[in-house]
Amino acid sequence: MTEQLEAEVRAALHERAAQVPAARIARLTHTDYHPRTRRLGPPRRVRPPLAIGALTTAAGTAGAVAVIVSLTAGASNAFAGWTAKPTPPTPGQLAGARASCETSQSPISGLPLKLADTRGPYTFAIYADSNSSAACIKGPSFVAVSASVASSAVNVPAGQILLSTSHQTDRGGDGYSFADGRTGAGVSGVTLTLDDGTNVQATVGAGWFVAWWPSGHPIKSAELTTPTGIVTQTFNLTPEIPCHLAPRCSSSVSDVGGGGPAAGGGTSVSGFASGGGEVQSGSVQSSSRSR
Amino acid sequence: MDRRRADFDTFVAASTDSLMRTAYLIVGDLQDAEDLVQETLLKVADRWHRVRRMEHPVAYARRILVNRALNDAGRRTRRRRELTGEALPDRFDDADEPLAFDAHDELLKVLATLPTRQRTAIVLRYFLDLPEAEVAAAMKCSLGTVKSTAARGLARLEQALRTTNDKRSIST
Repeated sequence: MTEQLEAEVRAALHERAAQVPAARIARLTHTDYHPRTRRLGPPRRVRPPLAIGALTTAAGTAGAVAVIVSLTAGASNAFAGWTAKPTPPTPGQLAGARASCETSQSPISGLPLKLADTRGPYTFAIYADSNSSAACIKGPSFVAVSASVASSAVNVPAGQILLSTSHQTDRGGDGYSFADGRTGAGVSGVTLTLDDGTNVQATVGAGWFVAWWPSGHPIKSAELTTPTGIVTQTFNLTPEIPCHLAPRCSSSVSDVGGGGPAAGGGTSVSGFASGGGEVQSGSVQSSSRSR
Repeated sequence: MDRRRADFDTFVAASTDSLMRTAYLIVGDLQDAEDLVQETLLKVADRWHRVRRMEHPVAYARRILVNRALNDAGRRTRRRRELTGEALPDRFDDADEPLAFDAHDELLKVLATLPTRQRTAIVLRYFLDLPEAEVAAAMKCSLGTVKSTAARGLARLEQALRTTNDKRSIST
């Protein structure tokens, strides 16, 4: 019986294993797994924190309330597969991300999906209605959600963007950053320039833009594609609690360019840094100008 | 492209098929399996400067995959519970409706209900045909533990096979 059983088990396992679609294997084979930190500024390895919580302020409105929920915590990796330009989603990538992000416990629950940005194996999705927004990032080993509630409606001037950006560092001091926000009428493309010269092309659509990058370098400017041509919007975002001073940190700033605040609140200030399990709150000064 | 990178790409091309099929048999879900293989290869890439000098890099990758599959078993079940509202055992997805009294389907259904360690031992032993010593190395346990773990799993499968044969006898 044992030999017969072993033969049956072997046959059943091979039969089942044969059902793995060749396309999934091909996709895995063609993924770029190489660490990319050497191309991205400081020569250090970038790792996500064990529990990721991205903080996204509510589109530049004062009084934003951030809720950070880490749905699952995964082991670290080196953000291999990240690209400076968005990549087309692989089959099932968006569906997989949505399944992970839109659980009943998530602050996303009930919010419509506005925009999804895919870069290699990572999916960063924005959910929003008129006064709430939430962001979710799904990577190979983690899912993280953040949400915020705006105190008033957001109105972004035509040809400009309202920028919210956040930076995360883990206990090792390695970091990554997110940027998202609303686009004013006519903005069809957004390319962010970091202070080290790296250009990160954002995904744009439905009145939103989304981008992220595996470093702590802040945004210096944004090139906006508008009907009248390329417009450069510059930023000076300086957290009052710099992340590099905290062993584990998350900070956030948001800003609108174009020489004036967006209707509905102006420049938003919020941020926090935590170390050793304690969370400190503080304000962030920001300013910007367009040229 | 430098030599090290080329070596890694060759390794990925040669090992991904086996890793993906093994992962699928262990976790029972295509998306989870794909995530697991990606995590494994990311980790191998991170350490490739050392791994490439090993005699059997694929054995190292397999050890990472198995270790992660065993450690994440609880998380996968919790996530499935969140997504479905139910507590389900590990499952096989994308499968056709099983044929009545099909012995292989019955075996696989029981395999999906086994504790992850038992299922992993059986997959490594009977799908990959690894010697018990290599199964022990992959699972980071003793040879005796592998033998007893696989034996318990096989006993459950044998019981399922007998039940299937009994049903088949009754139906005919």
